[in-house]
Formats: sequence, structure tokens, C-alpha cells
Amino acid sequence: MLVNEIMTRKVVAIGPDTPIRDVQLLMEQRNIRHFPILEERSKGALDSLVGIVSDRDLRLVGADHPRAPANVTAADPVKRVMVTNVLVAHPDDPIEETAKVLRDNKIGAMPVMDDGRLVGIVTGIDMLDALIFMSGVREASSRLEVELADRPGALAGLLDRVASRNVNVSSVMTSRADEGSVAFVLRVGTFDGHGLADHLRGLGYNVLWPPEASEA
Amino acid sequence: MSAATPRSGPTRRVVFVHDPRMAQFELHADHPFKPIRMELTRSLLVHAGLLEQAEVIAPRPPNDDDLLTVHAPDYVEAVRELSAGGPQTDAARYGLGTADNPIFPGMHGLVSLICAGTVTAMDSVATGAALRAVNLGGGLHHAMRARASGFCLYNDLALAIRRAVDVHGLRVAYVDLDAHHGDGVQWLFYDDPNVMTISLHESGHYLFPGTGHTYETGKGAGRGLSVNVPLEPYTEDASYLAAFDAVVPAALRAFAPDVILLQAGADPHRYDPLADLSLTLTGMRDSYRRVVALADELTGGRLVATGGGGYDPYRTVPRAWAQLWAAVTGREVPSSLPDAWLEEWRDLLPSGSELPRLALDGQGDFPPRPKREQITRRNGVVAQRVVEALTAVWQDTGLGGAVTSR
Repeated sequence: MLVNEIMTRKVVAIGPDTPIRDVQLLMEQRNIRHFPILEERSKGALDSLVGIVSDRDLRLVGADHPRAPANVTAADPVKRVMVTNVLVAHPDDPIEETAKVLRDNKIGAMPVMDDGRLVGIVTGIDMLDALIFMSGVREASSRLEVELADRPGALAGLLDRVASRNVNVSSVMTSRADEGSVAFVLRVGTFDGHGLADHLRGLGYNVLWPPEASEA
Repeated sequence: MSAATPRSGPTRRVVFVHDPRMAQFELHADHPFKPIRMELTRSLLVHAGLLEQAEVIAPRPPNDDDLLTVHAPDYVEAVRELSAGGPQTDAARYGLGTADNPIFPGMHGLVSLICAGTVTAMDSVATGAALRAVNLGGGLHHAMRARASGFCLYNDLALAIRRAVDVHGLRVAYVDLDAHHGDGVQWLFYDDPNVMTISLHESGHYLFPGTGHTYETGKGAGRGLSVNVPLEPYTEDASYLAAFDAVVPAALRAFAPDVILLQAGADPHRYDPLADLSLTLTGMRDSYRRVVALADELTGGRLVATGGGGYDPYRTVPRAWAQLWAAVTGREVPSSLPDAWLEEWRDLLPSGSELPRLALDGQGDFPPRPKREQITRRNGVVAQRVVEALTAVWQDTGLGGAVTSR
């Protein structure tokens, strides 16, 4: 999954001279937490990224707090509190890469830049949406967890066996990986998950869920 | 109210919907759905004398107009054509021709008949012809508007609800005790202010269909009217009934329905091979009695009940549904099952299958499940979360003020 598929495209961008008070108002009214700050490069267009400001930067202005910026009031321009060394993402970046950058730098959002132009913004919340989508249940299905040898064809073989029972696989996720083995969670389109599991056990697979029937 | 004790005497005017064709069809032999379980149950009721005072009636003639109150015209058309042996080009689009939902000749007519049975049951109760009605052939809670799912082709429960709301002007509370989430019924009425759906089931994290999470609470005019209690695999009687008591009475009292529709799938039992709950027949009986007591309290007794899942067809389903029928009629199943019943089926069951002699099993008959305390604690947290979330919504929507201010 790429940044392109999860980013917000309609970005509320502001100029560096906008008063902090106006940005605070926008933040509350529009329920937005991150504002890219753009300057005019070609005439009449805000098209050059110069900074970013977050809800935390804005809330600290005038606050009685050790990290509150000194000598800044809500009447000052937003460039007084913006962050200038902005980390950016590209629309074709894989989201796991973007998630890692957000996590490692403890930041909440990155502007998405394509060829020097701002095309979107991607946030930690978008990452949660992606997680919900990837781990979620889109079709009525049962959970099947199988441990496989970590070698070519192991997963393909399993999927083949499932397909030969006329059962659809709607999702595949890695649940853990150890030395030489990987466990996968599949969502399989059957209400007889136990029947499928028993069938796979009969073929020698190590099925972790559902369990074997414990009573005859 | 003492939910666990039977009513003082037999309840008059209970309808038992029956048509031999509902149980006489063949899927391929490997399919976990065994139609024989219905005849086993009816025969047990007959031999135990429990059908003597019932009014046994046939389903009304099936008709497509009923189906179209819930299902998409193109879907019904596709099912009819496949049922008649038509080409299977579009089958997959409608969830048909899979391992779960095989295409078999005559399926349209058969499932239409099952649906007519549940509609007939609802009509009997809604018109006052009967106080309660049971259609053990019904309970196809997974069927969607235009998609078969989990061996449910048409949704008889949704059809009966539509009829109760549209024709009889009733508000319906749907209570689903099947081990699987009642997803079809929930989604079909997710924004309907006249229908509350309540489902207790093994968590979708593990079991088909994968939905039924606590946060699925309805939307629009139906906000707060979808209630889900997802339970841990291996949940036993005490924890199950505690979760029921924490959520179901409060939800039903807040909604104040005119009639309750109960889907009593028999697969929460620990013998069931498709699900992982660990109830006993005693716990299941007590859950049925609780629903009947709530009907007595809230709907003047009006209750319609159906079967549903249940894939241990010899030991569990007949006994579970005998308890259901007994609860609905205010009677008791004799503790030793009639010899005549065992005799009738002795040579008719597959080899290795045997019918049980006792009506009940209980928690004492089985070793405790490992992690019982963790499971109980986890279910308690989930039930509490459901109540808190819904109480907040009900306060917001003005539902059940009388209950929440108690």
C-alpha cells in the first residue's frame, strides 16, 4: 500500500505571515492538527513548502509552560513557531516506510510532495486506518492461523490446498516469524473453519487456529 | 423476576410450524448442515408428549413478494435460475457455488418454504392467533440482501421482521443466541428505528463471519439499536449467562419491543464441531428461559423463535431445541428421554452415532476449561463496555430514559 492511497488530498495550507490566532481558530473550526506552511514562489500561488506547524506548537503559544515559545503572542505570524526542517513523504512511498519515519522522529504528520509540489498530507491516523483495513474483515470469513516453513512455495502450497476445497481467501497477514518458520493469519470464506483446519492437519500442516476438537 | 425457574404452568396457544419438506432435502454428504436434526427434534417432542397441546400448522404458501421485501430482485432471479439448473456464470457474485453454499436443485423453493414458515410464525403471534410460535427450520441469519452466506440463502428472520414492522406495525427486538454473529439481520436493519438486534456470539476475531464487535451499535435512526456481545472461545455457562444478564435485559427494557424474535442456534454447546463456545444444555436452557421471561415482562409474552446453527445433530440439537420448545411452552423436558424416541431412530442413524438418554448435561459433567478465570474476566469487561457505550447512546437519543435513570 502506498502513501498515495491513504493520504488526505485536500490540504489546508497557510502562508508564513498568517497570524497565529487565525491558525488557532482554523485548527479548532476545521478540526485539523497539522498545517503545512507555503510561500509564494511563482506569482499568486502558495507553492513552496517552508515549514509545518502542529496543534501542539499552536497551543503552547502564551501558555504557562516550560516549553512555551518565549516572547511570542497569538498576534505574531505563524512563522515564529513553525518547524522549518520538514520531513516529507512522496506519493509512491510504501506506507510502512512512512510509518517508520513518523515513529522514529516522533512526529504526527508529513506533507506529501511530488516534484516540488504539495499534493497531500499523511498522518498517524491514516496509518491506523490502513491497519484497520489490512487486518479487518471485509467478507464473512473465519480465522485460520497456520505455521509454515520459511521457504519458497510454502504459502503458495497452502493457498492451493484451500482453493481446492472451493474456499476463498480474502486476507493474509503475518502474525509472527521465527527462525525458519512464519505464521500466517488467513481470513477464509467458510463457516466450517474447523473442517478446513482438520483437512489441513490431515495433510501435515501445523494449524494454530482453530484448535482440534477436544471432545469426540 | 426469576429467569431461571420455569413458569407456573403450560402456556396456551403456542404454534409449532411444520412441513415435512423443510427437513427432507439432501446436500452433499460432507456438508455440516444436517437436515435430519429437525426430524430428530420433532420426533423427540412427539414421544415426550410436548407437542400434544401445540397447534401444528403449515407454512403459508411461499411467494416471491415476501422475498423481495428484503432481497434484491436480481438475486432472487439468479437463485431461481440456478435452482432450476441454469448456468452458473453469475453464481460467485452472489456467494453461491462455494463450499458453504452449494447450488442444489430446488433450493429456491425449499428456502422460500422455510422463510414462509417464519413469516407464518410471526403472523400467528402478531395477529394474536397465538401467544408464541416456533419454526425450527428457520434461523438463516447470515443471508444478505443480494448474497448467500454461511448456508443461508434467504433471510427468513429479516422477512419476518419486515412483515412485523410493515404489515403489523410492531417494534421488533431480535435476540440471536447462535454461536455465530447474526450479521445478515444486523446489517439489514442497521439504521432501522423499529428494530433492535442483539447478538451473543463467539468473537469474530476467531469465528465466522468475523463481525459483531462491540462498536457495531447501529447508525442513523438505528443508532444504539445494534447490540453485540462477542465472547471468548471456550466461554462456559456461568460467564455466558452473566454476560447475558449484564446486557440483554437492559437493552430490551430500554427498547420496549412489541414482540421478540429469538434465533436459537444450537451451536454454543461444547460438542458443536464448528464453534468454540463451551456451553452445556443447562446453560442453553437457562438462556432460553431468560428470553421467555423477558417476553413475559415486556411484550405480554409475545415471542417467535426459530432454530439456526447446530452441527452436532444427534447429541445436541434435538435436546437443545426440546429445551427451547419447553421454555416457550412453559413445560419441562423429562429428565430421561423417552425410550420410544431412542427406539425409533436406533437403526436410522449413521454408524458410530448414538442418541443421548438424558435431557440435560451440565457444567459438572465436563472438566473445567483451562483459563476459565481469564475468559470470565475478559467477557465481563466486554459486557460492561457494551452496556456503558450503549447507555451513553441511549441517553443521547432519548431511548430508555426510564431504565437509565433507575
